[in-house]
Amino acid sequence: MTQNAEHVLDHFDLFRGPEYQQMLANKKKMFENPHDPAEVERVREWTKTPEYREKNFAREALTVNPAKACQPLGAVFAAVGFEGTIPFVHGSQGCVAYYRSHFSRHFKEPSSCVSSSMTEDAAVFGGLNNMIDGLANTYSMYKPKMIAVSTTCMAEVIGDDLNAFIKTAKEKGSVPAEYDVPFAHTPAFVGSHITGYDNVMKGIVEHFWDGKAGTAPKLERRPNGKINFIGGFDGYTVGNLREIKRLFGLMDVEYTILGDNSDVWDTPTDGEFRMYDGGTTLEEAADAVHAKATISMQEYCSEKTLPLIAAHGQEVLAFNHPVGVAATDKFLMEVSRITGKAIPESIARERGRFVDAIADSSAHIHGKKFAIYGDPDLCLGLAGFLLELGAEPTHVLATNGSKNWVNKVQALFDSSPFGKDCHVYGGKDLWHMRSLLFTDPVDFLIGNTYGKYLERDTGTPLIRIGFPIFDRHHHHRYPVWGYQGGMNVLVTILDKIFDEIDKSTIGTATTDFSFDIIR
Amino acid sequence: MSSLSATIQNVFNEPGCGKNANKSEAERKKGCTKQLQPGGAAGGCAFDGAKIALQPITDVAHLVHGPIACEGNSWDNRGAASSSSNIWRTGFTTDINETDIVFGGEKRLYKAIKEIIDKYDPPAVFVYQTCVPAMTGDDINAVCKAASKKFGKPVIPVNAPGFVGPKNLGNKLAGEALLDYVIGTEEPDYTTPYDLNIIGEYNLSGELWQIKPLFDELGIRILSTISGDGKYREVAYSHRARAAMMVCSKAMINVARKMEERYGIPFFEGSFYGIEDSSDSLREIARMLVDRGAPDDLIGRTDVVIAREEAKAWAAIEPYKPRFKGKKVLLITGGVKSWSVVAALQEAGLELVGTSVKKSTKEDKERIKELMGQDVHMIEDMTPREMYKMLKDAQADIMLSGGRSQFIALKAGMPWLDINQERHHAYMGYVGMVALVRQIDKALYNPVWEQVRKPAPWDDPAENWQNKAIAQMDIEAAELAADPVRAEAARRARNICNCKVVDLGTIEDAIHDHGLTTVQGVKDHTSASGGCGTCSERVQGVLDAMLAMPAALAAE
Repeated sequence: MTQNAEHVLDHFDLFRGPEYQQMLANKKKMFENPHDPAEVERVREWTKTPEYREKNFAREALTVNPAKACQPLGAVFAAVGFEGTIPFVHGSQGCVAYYRSHFSRHFKEPSSCVSSSMTEDAAVFGGLNNMIDGLANTYSMYKPKMIAVSTTCMAEVIGDDLNAFIKTAKEKGSVPAEYDVPFAHTPAFVGSHITGYDNVMKGIVEHFWDGKAGTAPKLERRPNGKINFIGGFDGYTVGNLREIKRLFGLMDVEYTILGDNSDVWDTPTDGEFRMYDGGTTLEEAADAVHAKATISMQEYCSEKTLPLIAAHGQEVLAFNHPVGVAATDKFLMEVSRITGKAIPESIARERGRFVDAIADSSAHIHGKKFAIYGDPDLCLGLAGFLLELGAEPTHVLATNGSKNWVNKVQALFDSSPFGKDCHVYGGKDLWHMRSLLFTDPVDFLIGNTYGKYLERDTGTPLIRIGFPIFDRHHHHRYPVWGYQGGMNVLVTILDKIFDEIDKSTIGTATTDFSFDIIR
Repeated sequence: MSSLSATIQNVFNEPGCGKNANKSEAERKKGCTKQLQPGGAAGGCAFDGAKIALQPITDVAHLVHGPIACEGNSWDNRGAASSSSNIWRTGFTTDINETDIVFGGEKRLYKAIKEIIDKYDPPAVFVYQTCVPAMTGDDINAVCKAASKKFGKPVIPVNAPGFVGPKNLGNKLAGEALLDYVIGTEEPDYTTPYDLNIIGEYNLSGELWQIKPLFDELGIRILSTISGDGKYREVAYSHRARAAMMVCSKAMINVARKMEERYGIPFFEGSFYGIEDSSDSLREIARMLVDRGAPDDLIGRTDVVIAREEAKAWAAIEPYKPRFKGKKVLLITGGVKSWSVVAALQEAGLELVGTSVKKSTKEDKERIKELMGQDVHMIEDMTPREMYKMLKDAQADIMLSGGRSQFIALKAGMPWLDINQERHHAYMGYVGMVALVRQIDKALYNPVWEQVRKPAPWDDPAENWQNKAIAQMDIEAAELAADPVRAEAARRARNICNCKVVDLGTIEDAIHDHGLTTVQGVKDHTSASGGCGTCSERVQGVLDAMLAMPAALAAE
């Protein structure tokens, strides 16, 4: 036996043992009605052909390996960014378990979120009672400062009216009448997690600014010199928001970050459990109405929120997850323009260092081909940076990319000679990407953890940038925004390039004549 | 056995080195150890020079006797490539400590040699002396001799402690070690009339392998390369070669010349950088081998191969022509002779606007003029400011240089391509030149340069350093133009001899006052060219200019 009490093997080693290998082989032979290995190989090879690709792209109904998540996930992401706020998801609790585990696996932090735990009877008779009991229990058990309600598909299909339900629950005494319970309808069958983020952000802003669902007077805007900042759904939120605070601090900009979840997903281990930490205070959220302008770092995460804010008289502007020199320049210049604050020498030096780093090592990236998939704004930011470095973002794919996004990416390609042979794919999935990587190969793939299957299947080395990243730790703590963030992205890409060079030269006495220490 | 100082003297007497031959007896004694200027940023030391010269011998253990500094900072720092053994890459050092300083490190060295032989059994061990044990008096020659006898294996002392001089001297001392202990100690299994040595070639990035297939095709056997991808045995029996090629650098001139003296192996100095150079070198090799008794069809066969390879290379370069149209190149090189790549770059349609002549000889300069026309910029030294100005005025689109100028180019926002020893692409031979052209194309069209050159968008264009620097240069130039006295002072203040810090005015005065006509005369009166001697050509230039002046004018 390979397995014994003195020496317990885990799955890495155990199933490689001869008896397991034998067992698996027998099982396959006797019970799995196996095909001829040559036939399997033939089909596998066929899936790499342009012919298969054509069939793959003709798919109409089936999505295979989607590169997107659902609205409620984004809803929870936005909600935890407010002080003492617990996201309350009206719907089935299974969904909520998904969001919590998804975030915990990415951020390596607990993610608190409650559900109204709708069951079959709620699905038939409506979820009002679940809302009433759920709000009461959440309020008394977890003592939140605010409960942000969003929904799952189940509640949406039966048409539960959150506004009415919350009103009724308050009348029934679940929570005090003046207690803040903003809400947003976030069905998973519409949009993606970035839509959910947008809806909740809009719901919270609307709640505070427009009279708390009719329970308070609307706020009168008295413009001040501050700006509001919305990060959007972002796997690097911890590092990015801290970087933005640092940059704004250096520039002496007065600001409010709406939905600052950088602390709640990076709590210290010091003996105290923090169900809530940091976040935008409720007062700040309300006061944000007076700001001069609101900046969103991700256009497609704020398509509904920004028009609402603009209707209150603020200037609004949106970026596309800016990464790199030119994109960061543009972002800082706009901040400087709006606030009238100059960009200090310290930031100018960071810029100079970043430009220096690019010049030092761009030769390794220049001319390389990349495939990128991820959220629409991240794709735009990364593609822009790659073009800046002289790389070709040959395939850019977003399952949740709209027609408008496709046009925007194409315009980006058209702006650079390196975008000539590049293609954008909106609404496609990772199985489409698989075909692309076989028929039109690239040097590197940029994407989230799920890209590792593409790496295995196609042999395209994966550079992990995106959300979620489950199988590499702590990258969310490092920014990708600002010049420092751009430096991190540059290093991440370079590390992979050098790893690949080393990997291809590591053969002892075969290829290691080029296994150099200086690259 | 000669002492270290005797060996150094011997190296300085090298008749193959034009520079040394020009020196007086007294100066030769001082050697090329141009005293490094205290406080100045300096290059490497003799140890480093010796180590990099021999390190590419791949199957021997290179043991550095000294504190961790020497091997710690030099371990595997060159991209020489090996086709078989990798033991040369293993960092062996005695890593001496305080006890060894007090009681001597010879025992530790001896034990270290024993342990290498026990554990690795290489064909030979090279032991490198460093400053500290040399100062405390460890006699590595004696230890190596004892170890060699005891273990029945060559243990070669390389006696080039850092303080004896610069890197270049180290290269030569390494050569002496080979001549004293290695070359001629073994015999090849067989010899052919086509046996060739290649000396001073380090197989950087494996570039020797770009040439080797052509030799193989012609039936020319590289009996030994010293030292790129070399094997101990090959070096040991290299004295049986029929002819030798010394690859451009002067680093191993003593090896080539002494092998000619001792074993009658004629050598020529050639290069495989550039298409024309490659062809010339191949032809010369064929000619020499035939002279030494190889069948004379070799020459015809070589011509056929050359014609074919040249045609292939030109064809491969052809597609780059439209992309290079109007692009201007500045060539700043240290070791690689500038003109050796000029022809290929010109063929690819690039325009050469300037080249460095810092290490070029007079003939090199003539050659450059011939290739690039009279009005080419020959640059002794260039500041980032000037570089930026050239770039700004669209006088240059890219700079080709060694790693040392890299950062100057980068700070000036100049596209840059590495063509010196730390590069990662192989540029030798016909394919190498095509690779170079490809890399230039990549570098030229890298969008990063545009980004690098653009000031931060919030900068006031009038306030950025580039414009300020250029404005200042313009002001200085204008002031000089307006003020002949100052212009004359500035002209005369230009340094001619950097070692002895002698300016043009002093030399002109000396020539005028003493009626001097020779470089030696100028040296006697001003010490100019009394250091490394590099500037003797510049002094000659000053003499020529003065002598060419109408006598009446000079008499004023």
